Amino acid sequence: MEQNFEISEESRNDIPVVSVSGEIDVATAPGLRERLQALVASGKSTIVVDLLNVSFLDSTALGVLVGVLKRCREAGGDLRLVMTEPRIQKVFEITGLTDVFTMFSTVDEAAQG
Amino acid sequence: MQQLSDVVELSIPVRADLVVLARLTAATIASRAGFGVEEIEDLRLAVDELCLSLVGGDSSGRLMLEYIRDNDVIEISCTYDPGAEGGGADRVSPKHDDLSVRILEALVDQHGRDVASERPRAWLRKRRVHTAV
Repeated sequence: MEQNFEISEESRNDIPVVSVSGEIDVATAPGLRERLQALVASGKSTIVVDLLNVSFLDSTALGVLVGVLKRCREAGGDLRLVMTEPRIQKVFEITGLTDVFTMFSTVDEAAQG
Repeated sequence: MQQLSDVVELSIPVRADLVVLARLTAATIASRAGFGVEEIEDLRLAVDELCLSLVGGDSSGRLMLEYIRDNDVIEISCTYDPGAEGGGADRVSPKHDDLSVRILEALVDQHGRDVASERPRAWLRKRRVHTAV
């Protein structure tokens, strides 16, 4: 059964942590983009995106993350990703994005940088 | 010889929330064909990219998908009918972005694009390697 798409947000060490669960695809990626862009617009240049509970992710999701990464870096910060699921890591590997993003296996590590 | 039951057709309106149906159908057919878990996940993502590569962010028209299983091979073709607003075959290339190409290259054995009945079509072919336990 499909897991519902949900986004939640908290703060660790004054760094916003956006946790996503479910499938990030063409239907749900716009919601994630809106949430992340609002954070950048509010002055947060470093953001942690927790993908630990994401079960599916496609090129639309990657496009959103790359776009927000660019905005974060332009503002002097970074977009840090948290993931451990091999299926999700594989999508980043085959698209060559493992060299582009800073990746962590826990939210705590990502928040510490 | 291919049997009638090995061909499944799915026609869906181009709506972001319905692309999941293309994925679910691919996963179900691959599972019944004995594909391994990882192969099923590969096919699920690949068919998603196949649909995206044709329609991008459009929200009109219909996608016609045909799933064919032939022994250890599943072939999926996706044809885009843009409907009354048109667009037609000249739209084949612009939607096919680099990330989708890389994903398809990595996940399936063959994929391609052409024009069928003046409508853009994308297809993929994946052979079963691992048998489900």
